[in-house]
Amino acid sequence: MNDKIKRAFWQAPWGYKESIAVVGGLSFVGLMLQLSTGNFNFTLLEYPVGLLAIVGLIVLTGLMIWRHKSPFFVWFSGVPMSVSVIGGVLFFALIMGLVPQHGDGHAHEHSPLGFDTVTRSWPFVLLYSLLMLNLSMVTARRLLNFKWRDYAFYLNHLGLLLLLIAAGIGAADLRRYVMHVQEEATEWRVFSDSGDMIELPVAIHLKDFYMEEYIPKLAIIDKKTGETYPSGNPQMWQIDTLNTKGEIMEWQIEMLEYIHEAVRNSDSTYRHVPMPGSCPAVKVRVINASTGFDRTGWICGGNFAQLYMTMELNEHLNMVMTRPEPKLYRSEVIVYTQSEKAIPASIEVNKPLKVENWFIYQYSYDSDRGKASTTSSFELVYDPWLSWVYIGLWMFIAGSVLLIWEGNKKSKISKDDHLE
Amino acid sequence: MITWSSFSWFALPTMLLWTLAILMIYRRQLHSEGKVSTELNVNTSSEKGNIPVHAESAKISPLYTSALLTITGILIFGTFIALMWVSLDRPPMRTMGETRLWYTFFLSVIGLIMYLKWRHHWILSFSLVVASVFIIVNLAKPEIHSKDLMPALQSVWFVPHVIAYIMSYAFLSAATIAAIILLYRKDYSDRSLISLTDNVIYIGFGLLMVGLLIGAVWAKEAWGHYWSWDPKETWAFITAAGYLMYIHIRLRENKIRRFTLWLVVFSFVLLMITWKGVNYLPSAKGSVHVYSQQD
Ligand code: HEM
Repeated sequence: MNDKIKRAFWQAPWGYKESIAVVGGLSFVGLMLQLSTGNFNFTLLEYPVGLLAIVGLIVLTGLMIWRHKSPFFVWFSGVPMSVSVIGGVLFFALIMGLVPQHGDGHAHEHSPLGFDTVTRSWPFVLLYSLLMLNLSMVTARRLLNFKWRDYAFYLNHLGLLLLLIAAGIGAADLRRYVMHVQEEATEWRVFSDSGDMIELPVAIHLKDFYMEEYIPKLAIIDKKTGETYPSGNPQMWQIDTLNTKGEIMEWQIEMLEYIHEAVRNSDSTYRHVPMPGSCPAVKVRVINASTGFDRTGWICGGNFAQLYMTMELNEHLNMVMTRPEPKLYRSEVIVYTQSEKAIPASIEVNKPLKVENWFIYQYSYDSDRGKASTTSSFELVYDPWLSWVYIGLWMFIAGSVLLIWEGNKKSKISKDDHLE
Repeated sequence: MITWSSFSWFALPTMLLWTLAILMIYRRQLHSEGKVSTELNVNTSSEKGNIPVHAESAKISPLYTSALLTITGILIFGTFIALMWVSLDRPPMRTMGETRLWYTFFLSVIGLIMYLKWRHHWILSFSLVVASVFIIVNLAKPEIHSKDLMPALQSVWFVPHVIAYIMSYAFLSAATIAAIILLYRKDYSDRSLISLTDNVIYIGFGLLMVGLLIGAVWAKEAWGHYWSWDPKETWAFITAAGYLMYIHIRLRENKIRRFTLWLVVFSFVLLMITWKGVNYLPSAKGSVHVYSQQD
């Protein structure tokens, strides 16, 4: 290309100026549409319209292949256009990153330009579409002149294209619900964001909710304010069954006995009882050399079934046990599908269950009762486009790894590459 | 069982060795100052064509004593990380203090590798100084180091995700320094430095995308969806778009332009916002990825 020749705006061959003008113009059109009609309505793209949009994308790309020598398509599938579109998307993403965003269905003031709902605003949707179109043409153009050594390019660009399509257009068909299930009960109803009850084609029977907790910590709190001591920079001691000596500020702590599942005796001591209402308890000796304080006693964080137990250090401060943090929780369930299947399963955080096109996630539990919770919540996600997302994702990951490798090669060739 | 209380026993020797490494480079540079002009002549004539070669980028041999001192420091520091990992029974990657350990580690390793490859003395001094700053922060501001890893973080994707990100930060910061040096000189003809910038951005961007995409795979398993436009995700996207523009602009650009160099600096600012700044933005209230606030 002889881009050395000075040329006027809109005079061929087109370059950055024209690309930026197109991206700016499209953003402007988007903003006008946003002002007059509000957010883009994603339900429009629900199956099968989404497929039609993809067919449109393919037809336009085909047109580019047919006319790939025309100056228009050379420009439209060229670097300046790509860079400008990416820049335009970046601009609206910046707005998204700076302005707090709102979900659907909540009553509140909406920004007339859609700045608080960027992903559903017209300018973003239009630029995203232009990005898909441009990327599709860029990739097709390279494929016309297929070379094995361009494998990194194909993996990156095709992977990203699949991802953009399946995530963008697929968003219209995505369904997410939260379902709360009691132990020994079966549930198939969920509530949508707007509060409507929906009956799902899958039902969950909760047999058992199981939870393990981490060993808690010891902390010192101000009796009056309840604030952790020293305020601003609280110090805590992680109870440790191996390293039994520790300290918080000037108090020396020695752990004498730790019971993870403890129940209180009538004489304010504790014994090991593995049952839902038990909680961790520790027997410690606390010494403060500067004041001569020396006391031995039990400390317990308590829960819904048992009182807490603290150790008084002086008239202001108490030593207490923190609430144990969850280590693992899982639900033993039976999932029933419309095809009359009963699937026994165990669902855990990071270990969802896949049933037909549904994914079932461990979502939450009754946090007041902790490991004694008798309810468990699940998130059910329906995403028919997910396989395409994963294909795109892994192609893209492979392409990115190759990019690291390419980067290494680049320094060798670039010695001559960058010369005129 | 090792704990944070033994940190200084590893941190101080490491910093001492690294300080020595930097001092030796500095002394060597003072020494060779007088020779620069002749070296420069030799090099300009030996290069093909008549592209001016900046003195600093002329063929300098790396200082192996400094490299050796650096490696010893890295080994000592790495030992501490390994022992912490064993004693915590989980990768030490949760609290800010723990991620700083990795930043120190990878910054020094990558700095050393890049130094041996591109021979710019500033790479080693810069990465060791920044790595040491992270050590000093950890020494000065010990935080509550929780032993617990919340269930959502217990995943095979956790370690590759964090490591890819931290390594990418290290590469991209080196690229930023190179860009700033070029901008400062107002002379964009130092091919060695330009190809370093291009090269390091390819590596850093590749790692950034690996980290981001692994994050998406993980989010699908842990939170039910691979991409939710959470503020942290949004900023990661913005950052990626910045570097993506750089990479594509450079495809059709023979000499680097001022705008392109500023884009490197700008993208790095975005990266810093993604990493740190998001926690302070009003748009990040309720982000699922802001763990540090819970500590
Ligand atoms: C993370 C995603 C991406 C990566 C890693 C990436 C990387 C690359 C690389 C390395 C090349 C050079 C290929 C070569 O010369 O062999 C390239 C070329 C190109 N890319 Fe991308 N790219 C990405 C996304 C995009 C997107 C989103 C667009 C457009 C919207 C795009 C448009 C282009 C264009 C137009 C070219 C030039 C093609 C040619 O020389 O014929 N890329 N890309």
